[in-house]
Amino acid sequence: MGSRLTVFAWAAKAYGRWRKRKMTWLAVGICAAAAALICAPLLMIPGGALMDSAEVHRILAPVMGEGKGFAVWHLIPLYPTLDHFYRLLVESPAFYQLFWNTVGMTAAILAGQLAVGLPSAWAFAAFRFRGRHFLFGLYVVLMLLPFQVMLLPQYIVLQKLHLYNHAAAVILPAIFSTFPVFIMYRGFTQIDAEVTEAARLDGAGEMQIFFYVGLPLGKTGIQAAVVLGFLEYWNLVEQPMAFLEEQARWPLSLYLPQITVSQAGFAFAVSVMVLVPALFVFALGQDALEEGIAYIGVKT
Amino acid sequence: MFLLPGFSGVMLFYLLPFFEVARRSFLKAGNNTFVGVDNYSAVLENGAFVLALRNTLLYMAVGVPLLMGISLLLSLLLRNLALRRRLVSAMLLPMAVPAAVMVLTLQILIDRQGVINGVLTNVSEKMAALPVFAAIDYLNTEWALVVVVCSFLWKNTGYMVILWLAGLAALPKEVEEAAQVDGAGRWQRWHYIIRPGLSGSFFTIGMLSVLQIFKSYREVWMVAGSYPQEHIYFLQHLLQNWYLKLEFDRMAALTVLLSLVLLLVCLLLQHEKRF
Repeated sequence: MGSRLTVFAWAAKAYGRWRKRKMTWLAVGICAAAAALICAPLLMIPGGALMDSAEVHRILAPVMGEGKGFAVWHLIPLYPTLDHFYRLLVESPAFYQLFWNTVGMTAAILAGQLAVGLPSAWAFAAFRFRGRHFLFGLYVVLMLLPFQVMLLPQYIVLQKLHLYNHAAAVILPAIFSTFPVFIMYRGFTQIDAEVTEAARLDGAGEMQIFFYVGLPLGKTGIQAAVVLGFLEYWNLVEQPMAFLEEQARWPLSLYLPQITVSQAGFAFAVSVMVLVPALFVFALGQDALEEGIAYIGVKT
Repeated sequence: MFLLPGFSGVMLFYLLPFFEVARRSFLKAGNNTFVGVDNYSAVLENGAFVLALRNTLLYMAVGVPLLMGISLLLSLLLRNLALRRRLVSAMLLPMAVPAAVMVLTLQILIDRQGVINGVLTNVSEKMAALPVFAAIDYLNTEWALVVVVCSFLWKNTGYMVILWLAGLAALPKEVEEAAQVDGAGRWQRWHYIIRPGLSGSFFTIGMLSVLQIFKSYREVWMVAGSYPQEHIYFLQHLLQNWYLKLEFDRMAALTVLLSLVLLLVCLLLQHEKRF
């Protein structure tokens, strides 16, 4: 009698375990499939960059409107070549100009955002002043406004300041964007109020508290803002197009769309050059990014 | 004190010019005569405006719930997995992909003679049981909105999964375990514990989804240009085209209208839940 009971118990337990494991595998399967689906299109890029022009032309002819049937894609090129990189890196001086334009713009914007955004975020997080809720609400609304809604207002002010068609026309408005303030604010709110209180009791000035308590403890939020900012500004399209007339001042992100599908191999080589710095920053800042994004989601 | 430099910049580049635009929205461009609300009625009666408004609302109504639903489902599946970090990283990858790169691959895939149509045609030819597949011209038919929604989901799912995971991680684990011990099933735990606990995140994530909808205009424009198929002609196309045609009076009125609508929505949300 007793032994039969244990057999049943064992069987029930084993069944439960099996069911649980099955659910886990199902969950892994679904999530892995989703992740694979998301990553799949990116696999086209490295192969494309190494593919010689004749092959690209042959397999993409239908897309260029020059052939019947359908385009195909080779993940691994038949005759790998570095031609496109040679043409891009050695024969296209414009590439370097635009590349450094992008680097300069991104660096200037991020530096500026830190210089003005950090104190603003700290002010919202650390102080209780009159109109704080109102102002913060205002910042959130500004953060949500699409660029096209701010297009005319910014055009007017840039005209008045004679900045139109200067790199500053893209940089200055971006510096005062309120999105990084929002993220860094969320990072700062994770700091225990008791810590700043203790520092204050020990006689630390507001500046000291900001530099020695706020900055180190709010580091993740700051890093997340920088990484998100980099990914955004490395990739600017609408702003330079609206405010920079001269092509020599354009960033790299406007160079690529000018290359049509007929030069897909070359375009993929440019893609690699645009993608690599972004991936590099992404890999470096990924932990901070994940944690920083997480701050936005948790309501405090 | 800390706020002063940042706020003066916000004043200069955002608020003051906005008020200037609000003032101009009542004037006729060129000779600056006062025309009352003529610009506003011109906007509201404009056919392109009605079309763009309808498309934008439809895009939001489809895109936001789909994005939030899919990412919530994925994060519920992901949250107890050992592989979680790897998978989340893979899903986040599109954030690093510049718009131009994404657009290039998209063009090769979804052209009428592109790779996707090729694969589908092949499959339908091989299997006699399936109906004959006619190649779809995705970007020049009403499929365009489907393409836009799919690329929006592709780009933003990872972002939202992280946000949901953070919301889930903030829930106290003990409550759920206790419920499980007491015999609450999956569905009951979701209905009584997880869902109410996530209501805070729900607003923030919804807000950020809308923000990402607005940002996705960049890709739409790069794939389809300034005058795309009529189902993906959005308010941002309209604003940008008026800007290029220097139609500043109507543009000013539309700018004010849209800002007011967004402001109103934010006020309502803030009334419900502080973010």
